[in-house]
Amino acid sequence: MKVVTLVPRVDSEKCTGCKTCERVCPVLAIKVSNKVSMVDEDRCRGCANCEQRCPEYAIVMVNRESPVTVKVDVDQVAYDQIAQLCKKARLNPQQLVCYCTATRAEEVAAAILLGAKSPEDVSLSTGVRTGCKVECIQPVLRLLEAAGIQPVPPKNGWQWYGRTPTVWEIPEEIKKKYSTRGFYFEEDIKLLDKLVEVGPDERRDD
Amino acid sequence: MRQPILPIAPKVSQYGIDPSLVKARAAELPGMTSLLIKDMFPDTPDVIFPAEGGLAAIRKATEEALANIDMSRIKPEHSVNILASHHGFTLLGGEPYAEMLKTIRDFVAARTGASNIRLRAGVGLRFRETEEYIKRYGLDVHFQGKAAGVAPVDQGIAIETEIGTLYGIKKVYDADWIIHAHNSDVREVHFHRQVDRAVKPFGMSYARIETRSTYHQNLGPRAANFTARAIFDSTFVQSKFAFSAFLVMSPGGVVGVDADNNLYALNDRLTYTGCRYYGKTMTLLGEIDECIAVLDFPCPVPYVFAAGVIYANFVGANTDLYDLDKPLPPYTWYTEAFYGKNGRPLLSEIPLVNPAIKMCVQNYAWGGYPSAFFAEQIPTVVVGREQAEMMNRDPQNLTYMKHSVVADTIGDAMKFAYRTAGTDKVIVFDGAMGGLNVSEKLADLLIKKAPEVNRRVEEQLLPKWLKQRGMAP
Repeated sequence: MKVVTLVPRVDSEKCTGCKTCERVCPVLAIKVSNKVSMVDEDRCRGCANCEQRCPEYAIVMVNRESPVTVKVDVDQVAYDQIAQLCKKARLNPQQLVCYCTATRAEEVAAAILLGAKSPEDVSLSTGVRTGCKVECIQPVLRLLEAAGIQPVPPKNGWQWYGRTPTVWEIPEEIKKKYSTRGFYFEEDIKLLDKLVEVGPDERRDD
Repeated sequence: MRQPILPIAPKVSQYGIDPSLVKARAAELPGMTSLLIKDMFPDTPDVIFPAEGGLAAIRKATEEALANIDMSRIKPEHSVNILASHHGFTLLGGEPYAEMLKTIRDFVAARTGASNIRLRAGVGLRFRETEEYIKRYGLDVHFQGKAAGVAPVDQGIAIETEIGTLYGIKKVYDADWIIHAHNSDVREVHFHRQVDRAVKPFGMSYARIETRSTYHQNLGPRAANFTARAIFDSTFVQSKFAFSAFLVMSPGGVVGVDADNNLYALNDRLTYTGCRYYGKTMTLLGEIDECIAVLDFPCPVPYVFAAGVIYANFVGANTDLYDLDKPLPPYTWYTEAFYGKNGRPLLSEIPLVNPAIKMCVQNYAWGGYPSAFFAEQIPTVVVGREQAEMMNRDPQNLTYMKHSVVADTIGDAMKFAYRTAGTDKVIVFDGAMGGLNVSEKLADLLIKKAPEVNRRVEEQLLPKWLKQRGMAP
């Protein structure tokens, strides 16, 4: 869930149409047309990637007149389906996948079960990947993959390139080779497996 | 009692409030004093900065460290990228790190005859941060216009590693050779746990979002550090790696400069000093029974410094952050992710945040890092409505102020904190060089506890920490 409070303003005098903003926008809300960046304010999730990477400093973020809340209601989907998808992706439904928007795995799973087919769709509906824009791409890709979806990165974009390894996929010889150097692969697998298995009635409540 | 140490000055940055809005510093509060690291731990190494020699001592130490480095593979016609990270610029005002970078450039140019030497400065979550430092410290001029900030959303490059494909920032690797110019400050020990600390930027500030998300979401809290090693060991990176040069830090300041063609040899040396010297400070801060923490430094909330240690570490100082048998510190992103909807941890292995921190007063800190967890877990007072508004506008901190209250002045904030927290022990995270600013009551406690902590680390903890990292005590 995210409350979108900002929106970009492009200074068309400074904009050179280089397309950097287009390549970094996680929801494809900014496009270059006639060599000037144009913002689709309905799609924009206020992440400021465009403003932060514009080489000409042609973009500023301003407050929206009215903040917009984006959220997927998990109650729209049977919870056992959500739990099943999260488990397949080796995530607990309750765990946070986006620290900035406090979005949990269950909301991303619900978005996918309701039809999101790509990280862009997921971000548009939940707000994930629109805070720090860095840390939450992998759980989104893992959940999409668990749903049998193989998204394709935006053409010529730099938004994302692909899913990367998880601890469960580290080859045995690597684990063995580095086990004395402070890398606790097996122990972390046990920890994460235990987390995945925590059910709604077993949550610590002290 | 000593006078307080002058805190690091506020900096102009798009990630913080205008320095003119910082009306008073915590070090100026009544009853504040300071402790030097040497007062607490006499065996802390002597520093070259801050010291009489000033920045000239950094240049000299860098030149001496580079004198023994093999640069024979770098030819005059080759391009060279000196890789830097934002962290270095937060140490002791930033000038020492900037001076080391300038010296590396000058030395490499003189030794090899290469002239196409660029600076590529990586960031954390504030994508323009190193652009600001490049201008502030004159690095754009010194590198003859060839200095650039790079961000994890910039164009990437796939790197094949022994665990699969990971991704680096293309501009980091767009030269014939790379020089890894970093520092040994412990900083995020809650994340890296002093495992491959020297290698970490290859999986972080030089890396794309996919790789950084691998570290923080895919591998687990103690396996995560392998991300950087996998990239560094790749054929691609090894084909470009020339050498490393590090500003060697202790909680008291800059101890020297270390350089090596073998990054792992350098890493082992830093693992030992990191565990030994920072481990003592961290363990001592864990002895604090109750306090008010005041944040007063030009960095995001978790990164403000006291005694060379950041606030995020203090939030976990109730546990041994160096002990790898403990899976999760009270604060890491894995820990934060594993809190359920009821605001409590999902697993019994997850320790709660340091109960000694009764209240946090944010006199001056930046946005640009997801910090809501701190305000959710620790009662927080933010000084000034402008600072509150800055946090509210930050896409990474949209809920921070939902869990904080606002005071108009630091005086008002402290009055409220003293009354509500019921303690007059105060620790200030203001980057005071060579020591830390604290209230007299807390100074008494720390001085009293330091000898026992020193003994415990030397005799019990350090041997265990080193063994866990595959090093002989």
